[in-house]
Amino acid sequence: MERPTFSPFWHRVRAMKPRLRPHVQITRQHYRGRRWHVAHDPTSNQFYRLSPIAYDLIGLLDGARTVEEAWKISLSKFGDMAPTQNEVIELLGQLYNSNLLSADASPETEQLLTRGRERVRKRVMQQAIGLMYFKLRLFNPTPILNFIEPILRPVLNRWGFLAWLGLLIFALVQIIPEWPRLVGQFDSVTSPSNWGWMILVYILLKLWHETGHGVICHRFGGQVPEFGAMLLVLIPSPFVDASSCWSFPNKWQRVAVGAGGMMFELFAASIAALVWLASPDGSFAKQISYYVMLTSGISTVVFNANPLMRFDGYYILSDLIEVPNLMMRSNKMLQHLFQRYFYRIKQARPPSNQPGEVAILITYGVLALIYRIFLFVVITLYVLGIFFFVGLFLALWTAAMWFILPIGKFVHWLATSPQLLEYRTRAILGTLGLAAVGAALIGLVPVPDYRRVVGVVDSPLITGVFQGTDGFVSDVHVRLGQSVKKDEPILTLSSPELSAERQFVIASIADARLKLAEAFSKDDPAGAAVAQSGIAALEEQLSDIARREAALVVRAPHDGTIVGANPRDLLGAFQRTGEPVCQVADLSQRRITASVPQGDSGWLFQMSPDEYRVQARLVSRVHQVIEATGLRAIPAGQRILPHAALGHAGGGQIATMPDDRSHRVATTDLFTIYVDVDPAQLADAALGQRVYIRFTLPSRPILHQAVEMLQKAVQGKVTL
Amino acid sequence: MSQALTNYATLFESLRSRQKKPLPLKGLDKLAAWLGVRVRTGRYTLSWLRKQAEAIDRELSPGLRSLGEAALADRTAEVRETFLRGRQDDAVVRAALAITREHARREIGEEAYVVQLMAAMALYRGRIVEMLTGEGKTLTGSIAAPLLAWEHRHLHVLTVNDYLAKRDADSRRGIYERCMLQVGAIQQEQEHALRARVYALPIVYGTPKQIVADWLRDQIRLGALRSAWGGLRMLGGEGVASQGPIVPGLRAAMVDEADAVLIDEAVVPLIIAQSRKSDEMAAIYRDAAAMARELKVRTDVTVDALRKQAELTRAGRAKCAAMFVQRADPIWRATRRAEELVRQAVIALTCYHHGRQYQIVDGRVVIVDEFTGRFLPDRSWEHGLHQAVEAKEGLEITADRETIARMSFQRFFRSYPVMCGMTGTAADATLEMEKTYQRRVTVIPTNRPVIRETWPVRAFGSAAAKWDAVAESVAALHAQGRPILAGTRSIEASQTLAERLTARRLPHKVLNANFDKDEAGIIAQAGHSGGIVVATNMAGRGTDIKLDKDARQAGGLHVILTEMHAAKRVDRQFIGRAGRQGDPGSAQMFLSLEDELLALYAKTAAASLKKTCNEPGELAGWKRAATLRLFAFAQGASQNRDRRLRAETLRQDDWVEKHLPGM
Repeated sequence: MERPTFSPFWHRVRAMKPRLRPHVQITRQHYRGRRWHVAHDPTSNQFYRLSPIAYDLIGLLDGARTVEEAWKISLSKFGDMAPTQNEVIELLGQLYNSNLLSADASPETEQLLTRGRERVRKRVMQQAIGLMYFKLRLFNPTPILNFIEPILRPVLNRWGFLAWLGLLIFALVQIIPEWPRLVGQFDSVTSPSNWGWMILVYILLKLWHETGHGVICHRFGGQVPEFGAMLLVLIPSPFVDASSCWSFPNKWQRVAVGAGGMMFELFAASIAALVWLASPDGSFAKQISYYVMLTSGISTVVFNANPLMRFDGYYILSDLIEVPNLMMRSNKMLQHLFQRYFYRIKQARPPSNQPGEVAILITYGVLALIYRIFLFVVITLYVLGIFFFVGLFLALWTAAMWFILPIGKFVHWLATSPQLLEYRTRAILGTLGLAAVGAALIGLVPVPDYRRVVGVVDSPLITGVFQGTDGFVSDVHVRLGQSVKKDEPILTLSSPELSAERQFVIASIADARLKLAEAFSKDDPAGAAVAQSGIAALEEQLSDIARREAALVVRAPHDGTIVGANPRDLLGAFQRTGEPVCQVADLSQRRITASVPQGDSGWLFQMSPDEYRVQARLVSRVHQVIEATGLRAIPAGQRILPHAALGHAGGGQIATMPDDRSHRVATTDLFTIYVDVDPAQLADAALGQRVYIRFTLPSRPILHQAVEMLQKAVQGKVTL
Repeated sequence: MSQALTNYATLFESLRSRQKKPLPLKGLDKLAAWLGVRVRTGRYTLSWLRKQAEAIDRELSPGLRSLGEAALADRTAEVRETFLRGRQDDAVVRAALAITREHARREIGEEAYVVQLMAAMALYRGRIVEMLTGEGKTLTGSIAAPLLAWEHRHLHVLTVNDYLAKRDADSRRGIYERCMLQVGAIQQEQEHALRARVYALPIVYGTPKQIVADWLRDQIRLGALRSAWGGLRMLGGEGVASQGPIVPGLRAAMVDEADAVLIDEAVVPLIIAQSRKSDEMAAIYRDAAAMARELKVRTDVTVDALRKQAELTRAGRAKCAAMFVQRADPIWRATRRAEELVRQAVIALTCYHHGRQYQIVDGRVVIVDEFTGRFLPDRSWEHGLHQAVEAKEGLEITADRETIARMSFQRFFRSYPVMCGMTGTAADATLEMEKTYQRRVTVIPTNRPVIRETWPVRAFGSAAAKWDAVAESVAALHAQGRPILAGTRSIEASQTLAERLTARRLPHKVLNANFDKDEAGIIAQAGHSGGIVVATNMAGRGTDIKLDKDARQAGGLHVILTEMHAAKRVDRQFIGRAGRQGDPGSAQMFLSLEDELLALYAKTAAASLKKTCNEPGELAGWKRAATLRLFAFAQGASQNRDRRLRAETLRQDDWVEKHLPGM
């Protein structure tokens, strides 16, 4: 590494007699076995980390020595290790810009103002960039902490920590056996009518969380100058500025401040768990304690403990592994690797030289990058689903700030960086090459395009058996799963009403006959005609009764097996006409039925069946792939599902209307498809069993697929 | 009393111009500023300028021609008064230009053409004006300058060298005095008190180097002073002349040869240095030079001639370490610093050549300016490089000098609220002018068509063949009675050519930094029939070679370029010495595959082309075409590199300005 001793700008600092501002505090910290000194300005909360040699140099600058004198002393002390002129200038410049250094006896008001303005501008810029993390500063919470912290002080020590740990473990041991009940409650408790309570619990819990950070920071002597609210992906959440803990010399104290929020929150969750267990079902306490557990559990696991985002977990990790400024430096490390090995810039300097630290930086950098992309996609899709336009705006903005801005900066760097002075042509060609390869991979290289739906096994011939008449089930002739021949009786009903009716009609006919004979005898043709028609009507009634009596024996409509409901359950019950008995299915033939959402069905009708391939896996034999022999689609959109198992209520993936009791009415139009497979494959598959179906469409470049996916997501939400 | 007032005014202005340091613009601000320039100056189009100029030519000038001297003086006073009060509008500006034009006509007998009036108008409006070489830039400048001087009280006219500053100031004095303006020229050898008097004049001619240096020295003198009141003691004390500031602020600047001043020379910032107290380093530099001679290029040390950097290989390091152990001085114990010294000695040995980068004059190393070909006697290289060169040449080693102030020319010129410029060749650098200086370039049409012939370029496989061909060509044209100007890139090359000409018994004069005393005489003779001048860049910009009658009849001046320069503009300037103001003339370029430009920017390509051609003599057909392409590429690369270096200088300057408190 070339480090020229001299700098052309040395004259700017040579004769200066700077010193640290009097109120700057210096603490000693150890990182990975090396000593560092952190300069901290409590008034502006600015930090600067000094290496031992830089610290020595700054120590020499006492306001009476010139920079040149100090540098010469440093040279004689450290030889080759001493900072070069360039490094001294850089150090002084950064300290000065962080407001840690006073360079002149007289205050440079104008420059102070300029720097102040610059800082505000930077803050505004950051705010704009992180629209997904909008921050609102509210007030200084020190008075509150001054009040709370002495109260909690007796437990803010290692005994308190052990007690907390004990409580946490106890609560976990108690709650884990109740897990299924806990999960079971989820749906009913989180229904929209309860959202008001949930939000209240959430806000209180988050305030409690921040109190944790603040109190512990305060406990170890740090200042907490700021309290505010942050809009995290549209969800408001409070925050405190506990950054003064960065100057704590003991790393465990820094970790404690970072973990304080989660510890307080988990404490609340443990108490809530015990309350939940103790309180009776349906009580208010049970409900609220459930919310507390839910909120603190999710927010701790998903957000706070995750070290890949800049939340508590990140700072805890950074302190634990003793790599300060982890995120920035790991980004720099990746950039460095790129510059060093892709552009082959010899002068590129890595942000760290220690092998252990380098490994950590690289690992972290890669993981954080992947996570960031993942998070972006997930959040975008989520928000798009809820508020389309807000989501679209947020997604575009975030894409701009997370991806386009860095790319722009990168292009600018490529075009103007003095580092690249001698390598620019190579760097630009290399980058264009890489971009071209990337674009080709995305835009040209075909990759398999899979579509997946869930279907069910059913039979092409399946008939419902219904009651033909009212009556009590007196006899059941079959069992569920028993095979029947056509017209084989299934049920026999007894209907006392019907037999009484028959008696009555027969009696009426006899009566009418008598009336007819009397009319003949009286030679009353008109009376005879009346009686005649009466007989005819009654006889008709009689034949109807006979038909209904015949229906008292319910018969199989065709050869098959009894499926669906068990007819035996009906024994002795009164059944009305039209009520279902069971189904008779012809199990010798089976097929797979599924529903394809209309939005994703273009290919279904545009492609000929030999262009794609269909495979199915039965739930019962997931390992076995069944090749389909054919596919038929019904080219009419409908909302009725072919089978209740496909809908949400039946455990399927298609949203159904919540107010429909059959659970077979979908919210959107669907196309029904039938997948034909070798019947032998389905011979022992239970009807109604779920089947995973995969369509392998012709391979297409990722770009095509992504565009189509996006179009689908937008479809129906924007009218252009 | 009035002297005290002047001094106070100087102090005040000097402080004011310090506090109005231009802010470096970045990102969108930069873009906005650039667009702003385009919008603000959008009114002054070529057709608008022509309309104004024609109005002056037709309506105003005829009336003035017949005016008596006294009446003209009255009119002048009246217009000047309007400018002083800041009440000038377009009509007054037209009237003023007509008056200065008339003064110029009466004084030197040349009346400005319409195109020159257009250019003068554009200058007044803060444009960089491009006029082809030989179109009378000097006259244009001298009719625009009075307006600027009236309006802004002090006008600095910046030229490329002292000779031109003096020549122009003297030749224009009459015009300016008629306009009630005094003029002076800053020269290198002037005393402090004299300089102060010159700067107090309304129009000051000088080179940017001198003016920037004076201004910087003023700033050093003012030190931590923050207001003019604080300077009262400075004024009252024992002689302002030695202590007070001498440049009364930066008000307005007119830059002659704007591209050279604003762009080419802006690569290297101006540095004011003072000798350090002697620090027994002489022996150390000698040791370093001795060690450097021990190292073998390529096996021990790799040298990058372009960046002027050397790097030790592993073998070289080991060799050095072994040598360091034998030396007693403690400096050789600190490996990094010791290797730095050796590397520097290697650079002095391999990248700096006598006759190119420097010349030994009276036992001292004197730097030769790359662009103007002149000596820079006050300058020295920084951080021990100068000493390393002295050690290499075995001269007495001077004390190291340390920088006390530094200013890039870009920043300096941006400190002028009003700036305009003239050049023959600005078009290549339009974008840079607009971006760096926020000045637009206006191209003024030519008055008379150029009838200069450009003969096809001749390319050779070896330098020797090239020099022979140049000498031969000189002989042939000399026989026709044409005056010849042969341009070379370095003093060394001019001497090589001179030797060949002597061998052929051709009478010639050599104009380079070694012989700059006769400059005016040589230039005056150069246009005579049969004159042969071999010159470095000194004869490039601004040199006006007047042809005599015989020479014109023989076909005018013939310019031979013996090498391609680092920037196309420099070539064009040199060629522009021929065919001025409608004179006949011709120009031809000679190149060889061993030229320095190729060695720096296309080393491997040039070497392989040379191998493939395998032709030491003149190249023809595809070989010539390939050579020309290679040269075009190398020149492009060199221009790009220089542009980036300038951007980098400016960026560093801005960084320091922003991050370091102070001066």
